[in-house]
Formats: sequence, C-alpha cells, structure tokens
Amino acid sequence: MNVTINQKENNYHVILEGRIDTTNADQFQHEIEPLMTAKDANITIDCAAMEYTSSQGLRTFLMLQKSVIAHNGKLELINMQPQVKEIFDITGFSNIITIK
Amino acid sequence: MYAKRFEPIAGKGAEIIEYLMTSPDMPDSQELQFKIRLAIEEIVENIVRYAYENGSGYLEASTEMCDGYIRISFADAGKPFNPLEKEDPDITLSAEDRSVGGLGIFLCKQLMDSVVYEFKEGRNTLTLIKKINSKEDE
Repeated sequence: MNVTINQKENNYHVILEGRIDTTNADQFQHEIEPLMTAKDANITIDCAAMEYTSSQGLRTFLMLQKSVIAHNGKLELINMQPQVKEIFDITGFSNIITIK
Repeated sequence: MYAKRFEPIAGKGAEIIEYLMTSPDMPDSQELQFKIRLAIEEIVENIVRYAYENGSGYLEASTEMCDGYIRISFADAGKPFNPLEKEDPDITLSAEDRSVGGLGIFLCKQLMDSVVYEFKEGRNTLTLIKKINSKEDE
C-alpha cells in the first residue's frame, strides 16, 4: 500500500496504490492523517491502483468523510476499480462518499 | 478435506488467510477469489483478535467442495461468540450518523451465499458457503 499526497493550497490530490488490509490499515490511517485535519480542503483520491480494501480500510474512509464534513471540505474518490467499487456499494459507502 | 490447525493464533492472521486462499478448492475466478478473500479476512481477524484473551488458543481452518459450493470453516475453543447475532449496520444513514465499526461481519454475509454459526462441544464453528460457478456459467 502506498499513499502519495500532493498539496497545492487547499487542493489535495492523493494517489492510493495497492491493498488496504489488516496488516496496513493503521499505516493507511496514519498516512492520511493530514487530510483529516485540513480545513476547507478539496480532496481528490485517485483509486485507480487501489486493488483491495477490507472493512478496516472502509472504516478509515468513513472517518475521513466525517472529518471532511466537519472541516467544511470536499472529498471525491475517482477511477475506482469495479471490484472495489462493489464493496463501497454493498456497504452503502457509495451513498455517503462521492465516487466518480 | 483441506485443513490445518493453527496454534497459537496470535499474529497469524495473514498466514491463515494465505493458507485458505491457496486451497485447491479455491476457484480460478479472480472475482470470486477477491470476494472470498475479503470474507475470510474479516472472520480470521475477528477470531485472532477476540476469541482468546491472549491469542494463545487455536483455530482450525478448512475448506471443502460440496455440490458446486465451496465451504470454508473455522473452529476455535475461545469464548462463545455468534457473529451473526450482531445487528447489521444501517446503510441508509448519512456519513455523520454512521458508526465506523461493525462492517466486517456484514460484508462477509453480503459476499457469501450463506454463513452458518454453531456452538458445539465447547467450540465456535463458523462456515462460509459460496457457490462456485462452472466455467460455462461465467
């Protein structure tokens, strides 16, 4: 799993690669920590190379969405692979997080 | 039957998942493997974390094929726990109102055709059942 965050003022472009599972869910949460505290942030996460997420990864996405709302920001997930998108659909996460 | 006993289970989550995913019963379909891996991971992690006070107990993991269905079973002698009694999360709630936990078992139930729990002879046994399409059906 690899997270790359490119920041330009309030805009955050994030590239998320690999698998989020039990072995690295804590690391994932730690790495996106800066996004959880940013105010008025405009966050785009490119999920093209994200291959898998367990419920622990989903948890972190929900925490991020909650903090983005609380900080008056915007979050969008883009280019998600169909298999991963299905997990977001099944859990209702597609309704609470913008996926494009 | 493809089966192995892991003891103690502390820190062995990834090893148990890999053992099951390399079973000869596992379908070739990448899509099915994705779903099965996710379901297995949710169960294994629950057992490794919560079944025993200190992770010193065992987990028996096995797979078998039965009438076109793969059955993946887990048995432990930890405290009795029926994950199916857990209430499903309300997936219609807004992000603000949703709680961050309780997704693992729900996902597992959604991804499998059925999930069966039994407590017998002092053991929790949980079986995941998923239909494996034949090549022609795919």
